[in-house]
Amino acid sequence: MALSATVLAELRGIVGPSHVHDAAGDLVAYARDATPLFSHRPDAVVFPADTAEVAAVLALATRHRVPVVPRGAGSNLCAATVPLRGGIVLVLTRLNAILEVSADELLARTQPGVTSAALADAAAARGLLWAPDPGSRTVATVGGTIATCAGGLRGLKYGVTRNYVLGLEAVLPTGEVIRTGGRLWKDVAGYDLTRLLTGSEGTLAVITEATVALLPAPASANTGVAYFPTLADAGEAVARVIRAGVVPATLEFLDRACIGAVEDFAHLGLRADAGALLLFGDDGPPDLVAAHLDRIGTACVEAGAVEVTTAREVAQAEALLAARRCALPALSRRGGVTILEDATVPRPRIAEMVDRIDAVAARHDVAIATFGHAGDGNLHPTCVLDSAEDHEAVRRAEAAFADIFAAAIDLGGTITGEHGVGAAKLPFLAARLGEDQLALLRRIKSAFDPAGVLNPGKLGS
Amino acid sequence: MTGDVFDPEQLSRCISCGFCLPACPTYAMTGDEASSPRGRITLMRALQDGTLPPDDGTLAEQSSFCLGCRACEPVCPAGVEYGSLLEQWRVHQWRGWRRPLVARALMLLVEQRWLLRLSGLVRRAARGRAVTPQAGPTRAAAPAPAAAPGAAAAGGPGAQLMLGCVERGLFPAVSRGAHALAPELAVPTAQGCCGALHAHNGDLAGGERLAERLGADLPGTIVTTSGGCAAHLAAVLGRDRVRELSTWLADRPAGAELRVGGRRARVALQDSCHLRNGLGVFAEPRTLLRQVADYVELPSAAACCGAAGTYSLLRPKESRRILDAKLDEIEAAGVDLVVAVNPGCLRQLRTGLRRRRSPVRAVHLAELLTRVEPPPRPA
Repeated sequence: MALSATVLAELRGIVGPSHVHDAAGDLVAYARDATPLFSHRPDAVVFPADTAEVAAVLALATRHRVPVVPRGAGSNLCAATVPLRGGIVLVLTRLNAILEVSADELLARTQPGVTSAALADAAAARGLLWAPDPGSRTVATVGGTIATCAGGLRGLKYGVTRNYVLGLEAVLPTGEVIRTGGRLWKDVAGYDLTRLLTGSEGTLAVITEATVALLPAPASANTGVAYFPTLADAGEAVARVIRAGVVPATLEFLDRACIGAVEDFAHLGLRADAGALLLFGDDGPPDLVAAHLDRIGTACVEAGAVEVTTAREVAQAEALLAARRCALPALSRRGGVTILEDATVPRPRIAEMVDRIDAVAARHDVAIATFGHAGDGNLHPTCVLDSAEDHEAVRRAEAAFADIFAAAIDLGGTITGEHGVGAAKLPFLAARLGEDQLALLRRIKSAFDPAGVLNPGKLGS
Repeated sequence: MTGDVFDPEQLSRCISCGFCLPACPTYAMTGDEASSPRGRITLMRALQDGTLPPDDGTLAEQSSFCLGCRACEPVCPAGVEYGSLLEQWRVHQWRGWRRPLVARALMLLVEQRWLLRLSGLVRRAARGRAVTPQAGPTRAAAPAPAAAPGAAAAGGPGAQLMLGCVERGLFPAVSRGAHALAPELAVPTAQGCCGALHAHNGDLAGGERLAERLGADLPGTIVTTSGGCAAHLAAVLGRDRVRELSTWLADRPAGAELRVGGRRARVALQDSCHLRNGLGVFAEPRTLLRQVADYVELPSAAACCGAAGTYSLLRPKESRRILDAKLDEIEAAGVDLVVAVNPGCLRQLRTGLRRRRSPVRAVHLAELLTRVEPPPRPA
């Protein structure tokens, strides 16, 4: 469906001619995000400069029944920003100002196009911590981080993004601008629309400003690595750490394939012969961090670790975490297509889940490497295929992932812990929520978006 | 169906994670996916599979808008060789008359070996004795390269100094400085261009041919004062044949302290993109500078200055935008000198600083280490 000349002219009138792209090549560039196997060309790409322009574009879209997909950096892994029905991709990278960082109120006010790392840096400059820490933080925008309710490496101790969103300015598809929540820690007036919009994946409204909670920066942080003969041993270590009453900031595991891939990129001297690796870290007063790392190390040795080391300096700890953040793209060195998924199970059932993943991989004859946030039960089984052109292999991988999601739900878990549903997980959502809840989701969606123009084919569709 | 523009294996390595976005200067300028490495690879795929016609306007624009600085390569966990893909892209994009006129003219020029030789001679003659190196207080004046004994005469393939097609014309003091610092290097004057210019401007085959010919002209180890040439030569002849000057000098003492106005000089370095991102060389020039001066790290030392080979000639407006931010940073750093390790960067920085009437001077590493002062700025 190409946009009519009228719509294009109106769009150009709103944002200025140079901020509407509709040449074939420009559209191709916005046909996909970081999700493999999903691609669809939009009909126009629009770059608004402020809230008023966003509101005018959305009102126009509702009037003309044109689909709109809001987009930050397009680094999400669930096809949340692929314009499945064409229409407009609304790129928010020009709204990229950090409006305020308040050490007194422990909060920041920011536009959505700022990267999560830039916000973290601005906070750190004032002695503060922006806790959400998605692997893609240097790329991912705050708007997208909130829209997908992203998680990351500090999830165990600090939770996911929703715990840090105090208030939002958002534009409804019909063009009204609403402000939810605000600057207060305590504010219970009305339905919690801030939480509803956080993780709504651009299906209810377009976030144009966010007020987020910051924490005092921890005095110190450190990281260690433990190597195990098998992934099951690492799983046992996690259980022992939790039983020991320690809640570290980070507890990440990589299996053998992931260790090799990360080492190929980062050259940190990781032991490629180990069956699994547990990366653990904590932050806080130096004495406490040292004590926690010590207890975690002990738990690892008891679980059969063959080697435990802690980072000698901050740079080394940072390098370890940075390497872990890039595990997914590094894995792609192993083949042509890398499909990463995101399932979560209750923490005591991680080892069971790992076994089930192995069995599923064998049954469907696909190679699945696994890494993830062991501390919070969030696993990233990742399938590496030789080529997307091998349709039979792609089909087998998809069947395997369907089984993996079913296994996660069976173990009391969920189909996504931090990446979101997007288009990729939508077929599995009913299994997690049930039909009644899904129907409620759709009624909520139509209350926000009566014309159904905002990110169709995703949540609420 | 175009089909055969790119090496399919290289093209398929990108998984669109977007980790390259924050490293890309043109994405920083526009916030537009199409001008990011990931977006450009998506465009390349569309060209390869025929989704976009070969004459598509965005393909043309983006292949030329890209600086080719390869800042996306070291940050790519998947190991995509973007620089190589860009070269393949431009082979297709800039065929025949579609290649920018300036690039065509330059490529023709630097292929003429007699002209290269002449350019050095003419330049020297025009300047007369004014720039004949009175190389610093602590060093003996170096013989002009043209007068140096050729290694070829010595027989076996030792290490030889490459003069560079642009550098020998624009900055003859750089080669003289390099030779003063490393007198063991032979300096044959019968040597051509390395072909980097060709490879970056859509003539990959020509670029390889010239590099191989230069490899024959200079058998043995080739020492170059140009980061761009080093990366291109290494790609064609192999890394073991090529050394950039700072790595050649790395193990020897850098010489006496450089003083400005009675105090130790403050100097900054602008990395050569291809040297840093293509060959991973960035520590050595810094080590050398720290020995002779107070070294100041520019926040964006690793980011392109906008020279980018022929980019400053082909896209002056964008080049200038990138340079302006860089110059602001240099001036804010309060340095006396900013040091380049590539002739393109040197020209870019020197022109920009002069235009601003800045007190900061741009010099090549070889010039700084030999105290060969650059020509004075016009008042």
